[in-house]
Amino acid sequence: MREELEQPDGNIHQPLRLKIMAALRGLPPKDSALDFTRLRALTGATDGNLGAHLASLERAGYIEILKDFHNRKPRTRARMSAQGRRAFAAYVEYLQELIS
Amino acid sequence: MAPSSPRLSAAQAAAALRDIRRTERRSAERYGDRIASQHLIWWGVIYAIGYGVGVVPRWEGPAWLVLAPIGVAGSVVLGVRQKRDASQARNWRWLAAGAVMVLFLSELLAVLPPTTDAQIGAVIPLLVGFCYALYGIWQAGARMVWTGVVLGALTVLGYLQVHAHFSIWMAVVGGGGLILGGLWLRGA
Repeated sequence: MREELEQPDGNIHQPLRLKIMAALRGLPPKDSALDFTRLRALTGATDGNLGAHLASLERAGYIEILKDFHNRKPRTRARMSAQGRRAFAAYVEYLQELIS
Repeated sequence: MAPSSPRLSAAQAAAALRDIRRTERRSAERYGDRIASQHLIWWGVIYAIGYGVGVVPRWEGPAWLVLAPIGVAGSVVLGVRQKRDASQARNWRWLAAGAVMVLFLSELLAVLPPTTDAQIGAVIPLLVGFCYALYGIWQAGARMVWTGVVLGALTVLGYLQVHAHFSIWMAVVGGGGLILGGLWLRGA
């Protein structure tokens, strides 16, 4: 844990990825997913930018991307993984240590 | 192993934490809006039917005796469907909040008994609007606050200015307003 706090986690250090993680963490239920449109509105990102950073977070194992059909339309949702939750908590702890 | 990045300054860390908290809060508020939207639309339909039937005074009482339990049952069903996405603690709080609302409404009506049907028809939506506004302030956000405040204002406006056609006013403006408010929140 200490090792994680000495250096910022590059996977979520980027501001947009941090916002994505914060938006997913802000959902009250632990296993809830946010769809792409709502995530875009919450983060203020463009489609391409958001898609690229979601892919990076998925590769890191911090989120899961869920694709299905809702009301006969394709839907893409993102859900924070347990690993992502731990990484985000460690990153927030790192930030708090920096300002304390 | 996660790639590392340059160390942040204290000011940058504070800014990042503010950004995190702001985004978390907005995400939680939008989630609360979406949960509440289904209940608003449901109760908008109940209002529209109840007040619509209430245009015929002798049907008003029996209509609400039937519609109120249906409305509560529908909200319970919606709550159960939402349960898989919500924690147990939150569900208990909602049930407790609903029970407290019914209790205090009953006590209020016992202390200050309305003398006309229109007064009953106005007092209940006012209390409901008040609860929506409080829910918006503490959980859901500005859209819910506005929905509650507008519901209250429209109820008073109808009671004072359209007294002779209050039931129609509440069916169209009250019920319709709740449905529109629910659709507005659903898009959050």
